[in-house]
Amino acid sequence: MTFFAPFTIPFIIGGAIMAAVLLAKYTLWAVRLPREDKRLIRRNILSFKSLAALWEVVRESLLHVRIFRVNPVLGYMHSSLALGWLLLIAVGWIETVAYLGLRWVPLQGHVFFKYFMPVNGITQHKAGFELAMDLLLAVVLSGVALAWIKRMRSRIMGLRRTTKHVLFDRIALSALWFVFPLRYLAESVTCAIYGGGSFLTGSTGSLLASHLDAETLAAVYEPLWWCYSIALGIFFSTMPFSRYMHIFTEIPLIFLRRYRLAPGIEPKSYDHFEVEACSRCGICIDPCQLQSVLGIDEVQSVYFLRDRRYNMLQLSVANNCLMCGRCQTKCPVGINLNTLRLNSRSRMRNIPNEGRFNYLSGIDRSSGEGRTGYFAGCMTMLTPRTLSAMDTIFRAAGDDIWHADRDGGVCCGRPLMLSGETTAARKMIEYNTDLFRRHGITRLVTSCPICLRVFREEYALDGIEVMHHSEYIRMMIAEGRLQMRRTDMRYTYHDPCELGRGCGIYDQPREVIAAVGELVEPAHNRRDALCCGASLANTVIDDSQQMRIAREMTGELEATGAGTIVTSCPLCYKTIKRAAGTETKDISEVVAENIFQP
Amino acid sequence: MSGLRFGYGINRPRAIDIDSNDLRKSNEILREMPELQTCIGCGSCTASCTAGNLTEFNFRRVHTLVRRGEYRSAYEEMNKCMLCGKCRLVCPRGINTRGVAMLIKRKLGDF
Amino acid sequence: MKPKVVIAGGGAAGMAVALRLERLGVEPVIVEREERLGGKVRGWHKLFPTFTPAAEVLDPLVAQIGRRGIECRTGAAVEALSEHGVKLASGQTIEADAVVVATGFTLFDARRKEEYGYGIYDNVVTSADLERMMNEGAVRLADGSTPRRIALLHCVGSRDEKVCQRHCSKVCCITGVKQAIELKKMFPEADVFNFYMDIRMFGAGYEELYREAQQSYNIHFVRGRISEASPMINGRIQIKAEDTLTGRPLRMSIDMLVLLAGMRANDDNAALAASAGLALAPNGFMQSADPFLGAVRSPRRGIFYAGAVTAPKSLADTLAEASLTADAVMDYLNSVQR
Repeated sequence: MTFFAPFTIPFIIGGAIMAAVLLAKYTLWAVRLPREDKRLIRRNILSFKSLAALWEVVRESLLHVRIFRVNPVLGYMHSSLALGWLLLIAVGWIETVAYLGLRWVPLQGHVFFKYFMPVNGITQHKAGFELAMDLLLAVVLSGVALAWIKRMRSRIMGLRRTTKHVLFDRIALSALWFVFPLRYLAESVTCAIYGGGSFLTGSTGSLLASHLDAETLAAVYEPLWWCYSIALGIFFSTMPFSRYMHIFTEIPLIFLRRYRLAPGIEPKSYDHFEVEACSRCGICIDPCQLQSVLGIDEVQSVYFLRDRRYNMLQLSVANNCLMCGRCQTKCPVGINLNTLRLNSRSRMRNIPNEGRFNYLSGIDRSSGEGRTGYFAGCMTMLTPRTLSAMDTIFRAAGDDIWHADRDGGVCCGRPLMLSGETTAARKMIEYNTDLFRRHGITRLVTSCPICLRVFREEYALDGIEVMHHSEYIRMMIAEGRLQMRRTDMRYTYHDPCELGRGCGIYDQPREVIAAVGELVEPAHNRRDALCCGASLANTVIDDSQQMRIAREMTGELEATGAGTIVTSCPLCYKTIKRAAGTETKDISEVVAENIFQP
Repeated sequence: MSGLRFGYGINRPRAIDIDSNDLRKSNEILREMPELQTCIGCGSCTASCTAGNLTEFNFRRVHTLVRRGEYRSAYEEMNKCMLCGKCRLVCPRGINTRGVAMLIKRKLGDF
Repeated sequence: MKPKVVIAGGGAAGMAVALRLERLGVEPVIVEREERLGGKVRGWHKLFPTFTPAAEVLDPLVAQIGRRGIECRTGAAVEALSEHGVKLASGQTIEADAVVVATGFTLFDARRKEEYGYGIYDNVVTSADLERMMNEGAVRLADGSTPRRIALLHCVGSRDEKVCQRHCSKVCCITGVKQAIELKKMFPEADVFNFYMDIRMFGAGYEELYREAQQSYNIHFVRGRISEASPMINGRIQIKAEDTLTGRPLRMSIDMLVLLAGMRANDDNAALAASAGLALAPNGFMQSADPFLGAVRSPRRGIFYAGAVTAPKSLADTLAEASLTADAVMDYLNSVQR
């Protein structure tokens, strides 16, 4: 038995193209990894991290647990296709072994086993194999059916929007849609002629045999196997250029991520693994407020990654994002969507003009003396209520404060970074780091989550405890240096994106509010909190669009019935104040008003 | 006398000559961001400017000159901006000032 | 029997309409939310551009209302209206043959421009506060001393998208000039600065007063909007602006900051409009039937407007408009009687 027939040629060619391209891509990406990343791989590859990664591959690449959590129907669709197909291959292989013993069979021999050996082989467990193969095929076909439904009527699948695809995707998608129905038909016709099969192919086969004469069956037999092979060939050859690249790419990604590789603010080779691991499932579209409130399409993470992958990324797409991070919390592949967008902006916008911030040298407008430094932040200068509340709090806590920017400081650098000007941002970072060091502070408090994030992520401030003012206040209450007076006020709290999803600070502000009054939560909160719309990360949408997002968000806050809206970011605060009719306060104000002085 | 300079380039006319200025870039900028045309010149952006607090940088002046077709050193000037966003918060016309700063750099820069 | 007309609002507009209608043989009823008649003018000290004491205009109006025995329901707010009368917040209804809406405007709450520190720092006051202080007899700083340097800021709550107030409040420019002169008269040694974006001197005698302020009172005019005010250790206030005419940032310390608060549409305009099928202009003020030939008519027959309920107006304009409103009401009453 040579296990060769002309109809297998499309499959063989397709498979070869896929294997070659995959190998070339992965090798190239791996070789181009920065030295630092390679070192991480070498250090971790022979550790438990690899085992953990393997387990994650099973959970995510096959079972798709995370998609299941977000959307069970979508999860079933993915796992029925992935796991079903894998098992079809695996059981098929076992079947071959069971019939022929352990001997070498070319790949097409396994794949088209039914064609090559429709009736031959041993009889032992035959019915079991036939049943298993039919069962698996039925599962995969149900997944294909769901994929059809998702394309046609996405709402049934619980998605408001699905992704719009590029040409390669459409070809691969169409081929994939036909692969399994064609296999089903080809196997059924084989069963009609030779017998065999189980509840699916077997019964369809007998149905066909009873309605069609032997000549007709013989006439469609070969063409059907040709079609099946062609569909497979087309799918395999387009697969590395389409979104289906994610099927394999997710596996190395999971391993690399376990080895602590991550994207940075400058693009690097590792980014390819993240970008091409995107399955374009479109889960990121629905949480995007640019879509849900403003109806803006084609800018969401899925499109951003798509455009970046095919080198057709426009600045207007890269820039049109609030970077609120809501999509990132939902991404079933766990792609670092914000960081990738940030480093895309950096590549497109970074201006290597070294001298542009020379004017910073020698400037020191700070005032006061103390081990605790207070960096209010640029925006906080426009919210004097917060400034005076912080003064009250510092006084009550008995802390001596060095004011970094009371008389106007230098920006923290994050706004430049968010706009892709990373080298320029470095100048700010160097300036401020030097300023903090020179004044010998051991603690740095800021009222602006935007500053906080860059202080934590990009500044090297070892020996200086960096905290947001909500953290500081909570600590002071815990230490007994601030005593709160409880009131019967009802508050609701808005999680600023940079503080919540950005820095993981959800509980501290809530504990502070709970020390003063009752806290009622809005419909979306914590990791799922809505963005206020005024994010510095977006320089495309205009004032009225920002306000539409803000009104939608404040609507939820006001629906809680709370008497006061509390937040802890000057930008959110300003925006909510503009959009809401309800009294709005920064958390520091709520505290300053309710300090208990015995 | 060709070496004589009064702080400016030798051939630089004192007047803003709209007739000879090339308004193409300016029009491009205004087409992309028409709201810039709504500026009433109140100076809030410049007054609140973090960079303007530390050095000679006048956002309002730069974008006004650009609108008149005076691009000279506008790119270098705009590069002093820290993009902190205070100006956008105070602009009474709700102009996307950070977007303006980036747009001017993009249109007039050498990249 | 005399036709009856309900006038919602007992300020200058409402009173002037009532007096005029009464003379024309109508029985007007004034419904006023406050306990006293007079509206916003009651809190004012002197009027631009002539420095006429506000009382000289208001008192005769109130006195005549009393003399003529015009019915006034004070302490009663209009909740809903139609061409057949009004419904009060108390639930009571007043039937009438026509209705005049003269509910005026709301003073912009300067606390919404937090960066100016109103309600946070001492010695940041609004134009209305300043009038009240002058009425009370003395303008003083919080510590009782007299100011040596004062800044008045125009367009607070006007021409400002950030507080959803796109419109120009029209009267603040001249009020700023008037108050600057008054302050200078009170404190001849003090420096008085007006921070403006545009000086809009539309009325008779306004431009002349502006010139007088500059020439005779040495009041400084700086073209630029103050962006921030912050407290200083010595109790003064530091303000930042751009001196746009020199193109340079300007900062100065002052003793007192006067915010010329603008006119805002009443919050209940929407409810009133909805109750009677009237329309609101985009800025929230009531929309007239026609800007030229129907400025005092609403789109609905039998409902009329007077005063600042349709747009920011000066007192002089409001009083002049009252006669037009009364005239339009009479035309309507005559047409329905026949």
